[in-house]
Amino acid sequence: MLNESTIDPKIIEEILKFSKNVIEAPKFASAPDEINLEVTPHKVVQQIDKTRLLYYKPIIETKHKTPLLISYALINRYHILDIHPEKSWVRNLLEQGFEVYMLDWGTPTSMDKYLDFDDYVNGYLDSSVEYIKNQSSIEKISLQGYCTGATIATAYTALHPENVKNYIATAPVIDGWKDTTVMSNLAKHMDVDKMVDIIGNMPPEFMYYCFSVLKPFEQGIEKYIKFFKNIDNKKYVDNFLRVEKWLGDTPPIPGELFKQWIKDIYQENLLIQNKMHIGGERIDLKKIDMSIFTQVAVGDHLVSPECSMPLHYAVGSNDKTLKVYPTGHVGMIASSFSQKKVLPEMGKWLAERS
Amino acid sequence: MQSKSSKNSAESPNDITEYYKHVSLFWTDIMHLMSSKPQALTSIGPMRSFAANSKKISVELIEINETLLGFNQYLTEYYKQLADVWGIAQKKVNLKSPEIPQDVEHIEAVKRVWIDIFDNDFTELFDSKKFGENYGNLVSKELELTKHWNNITNVILQSANLPNKEEVDEVYKEIHSLKKRVSKLELELTKEKRKNAK
Repeated sequence: MLNESTIDPKIIEEILKFSKNVIEAPKFASAPDEINLEVTPHKVVQQIDKTRLLYYKPIIETKHKTPLLISYALINRYHILDIHPEKSWVRNLLEQGFEVYMLDWGTPTSMDKYLDFDDYVNGYLDSSVEYIKNQSSIEKISLQGYCTGATIATAYTALHPENVKNYIATAPVIDGWKDTTVMSNLAKHMDVDKMVDIIGNMPPEFMYYCFSVLKPFEQGIEKYIKFFKNIDNKKYVDNFLRVEKWLGDTPPIPGELFKQWIKDIYQENLLIQNKMHIGGERIDLKKIDMSIFTQVAVGDHLVSPECSMPLHYAVGSNDKTLKVYPTGHVGMIASSFSQKKVLPEMGKWLAERS
Repeated sequence: MQSKSSKNSAESPNDITEYYKHVSLFWTDIMHLMSSKPQALTSIGPMRSFAANSKKISVELIEINETLLGFNQYLTEYYKQLADVWGIAQKKVNLKSPEIPQDVEHIEAVKRVWIDIFDNDFTELFDSKKFGENYGNLVSKELELTKHWNNITNVILQSANLPNKEEVDEVYKEIHSLKKRVSKLELELTKEKRKNAK
């Protein structure tokens, strides 16, 4: 049993310091609502329903002819790709001389419950590609998809290969049966017909639950202890709050889209078997015959590498590159590592083909 | 046919529910028939419609109890699974770090061990078939509860001569279909214009 003589005074000191940090936290940190996540200047060049096509203002003179369109995921918002000037995916690409567009899927409401893959792939994404082609007077663009945004981009690329010169798939959700994550396990046991029939859109609160069961103690307790311990470290606190704000901002997913995603990808695994249909057309991955670069993170606990890598082997391209990085799902796109390793490699690959 | 009301004793919660469902429906129907004449006088008022639909509300409320039974069963299993894994993980931590930490470094080391073991064990649980199945059933029952609530709301909306959820959904579906057709036509037009401009 502990008694006074055996307690290390440093423990008391640590507890007192931690308590002081918690009390004084509001002095050092902004409220998440006060943080603006839109870092790099951009303008909205096209708006269809709730989606917006963003064009980022070039930082240097554009060096490459083919513009890049980024199709962000359906979960959370696109801000993670521009979360902080020093870790911004978008800014880095602008600094490398690329022209960058981003498709913001917006925040669906109950009225949007019937939006499906066809609307996203052959509607919003195709309209964005057409807009860019018109603006740049070119026939083909470069396309990047991230996470579930890469599932949409992969389907688009297979259906409209004539519009895509280069395709970059970053942590794509492709082979649902090989996915070993908790998300995949929950999805496989979900009565998605009943869910969509009764509640319509997939509510963001349900998404929070799904994320909270991923590394529950590291993410649910330890990271907040670290936050208060480092409350006087301005850089750390700013970065922490930006990522936390981004994590908390998850829009609902349209019901029909969610239903097809869960059924076709996780439950029946149709995409990798070339059996998935969108707008009445079959998705044949062999039709992806342009240059393709697949980026996978070995520590990805949201989309396991086994789920993403089959894309590399399933496409019909002769020019294909697969890179496996020693990082996680978010680390691959918004970290010092992504700035030093992932983006320079991707930029070099893209520059040679743009 | 044996009347359900003649049953004196019920053997399971389902039998009890069925029995009360029958009693409730019997009296609702009888009251409705007995009061049909005065109701006819107020056939365009809100209470006429509400009285006619009150049986639906009774059925929904009774069925909610049935669903709640299932919901509680899966919820109990959900917390049992969490509690079991917590107990096992805590034992592993105790085995690996049997001593009470005496200094800051030791506390940090024990905390690391605790987080690693708990994260591993809970991730293993969340990845398991038994958790996935039970969680799927739990969510399914919760959805059924929502469905009953929606049905009750629909009856009240109908009584007030307002569109219910299904009718609003029909409008959403129609708007979606129209927007889709217009968007496709616009996109085709853009593509044609480009082709002709070449």
